[in-house]
Amino acid sequence: MKSVITTVVGSADSASRFPSVSDMESVQGSIQRAAARLEAAEKLASNYDSIAQRAVDAVYAQYPNGATGRQPRQCATEGKEKCKRDFVHYLRLINYCLVTGGTGPLDELAINGQKEVYKALSIDAGTYVAGFSNMRNDGCSPRDMSGQALTAYNNLLDYVINSLG
Amino acid sequence: MLDAFSRKAVSADSSGAFIGGGELASLKSFIADGNKRLDAVNAISSNAACIVSDAVAGICCENTGLTAPNGGVYTNRKMAACLRDGEIVLRYVSYALLAGDASVLQDRCLNGLRETYAALGVPTGSAARAVAIMKAASAALITNTNSQPKKAAVTQGDCANLAGEAGSYFDAVISAIS
Repeated sequence: MKSVITTVVGSADSASRFPSVSDMESVQGSIQRAAARLEAAEKLASNYDSIAQRAVDAVYAQYPNGATGRQPRQCATEGKEKCKRDFVHYLRLINYCLVTGGTGPLDELAINGQKEVYKALSIDAGTYVAGFSNMRNDGCSPRDMSGQALTAYNNLLDYVINSLG
Repeated sequence: MLDAFSRKAVSADSSGAFIGGGELASLKSFIADGNKRLDAVNAISSNAACIVSDAVAGICCENTGLTAPNGGVYTNRKMAACLRDGEIVLRYVSYALLAGDASVLQDRCLNGLRETYAALGVPTGSAARAVAIMKAASAALITNTNSQPKKAAVTQGDCANLAGEAGSYFDAVISAIS
């Protein structure tokens, strides 16, 4: 799974050399930023439920009939639950990405093939974008986490939003 | 290939859980001791040639049959292959120590090594002994207690944990080939 350390080790291995000084510098840079990432991951792990709920509320405020681009949902409750489940799923992968320090978990477990899936299910990706945009503007420093941690968290939300565009 | 961080992500994903407080504690200590870890990797990679040649010379001294005709390192070709393999093993141990996870060592070095050595007729007892010598040398270099004059001018810190971690990777090599 891609992270700074595995990338460094992979390139050192393909050249059959021991970790060099510049490899150490890369890892050191990653480690220095890791404290903020882990803080964001910790805060996200304890607050993901309310974050996802607020995003669902925002989506349904914008699209009262649930997913756009398909028949109005007959059972709004079930739709909301599934919507929240999906947001929690993405937040969990963002949590992994914050810990790993790369986008590997999101890429491997969500983004690869997501457009095809949503197309097949007739769900407009704009629905998710609306929810993630809400999360993107929801976080607040220093109320929720430190500035550096919030930047790392928002970067990953932007990454997801861009992948849905 | 995984590192200490992605290992947590993979194990959390198998149960669909978020990575929270308790899981993060070990990663925080990884970060706190990050410089020690880099120094430990540096101690191995800067002294790699010395560690490897000492280990191979060591097994030849302990078992003179190795250099005799039909011995394990008889002919320069076999000796060169032995030195090369020692360096490869040490290199993957240094990767594992840098990543804080044994997956790179297991996947790229040890997987199938026993079968390869059996097919080539490598005496695995001697090979395991050479790895054990490299383990001792690496531990001494990491904790800066080596007897050689080439001591690093570093602040004395407690690197016993890292020496132990490196030792566990060497032990993985020994158990994989013997």
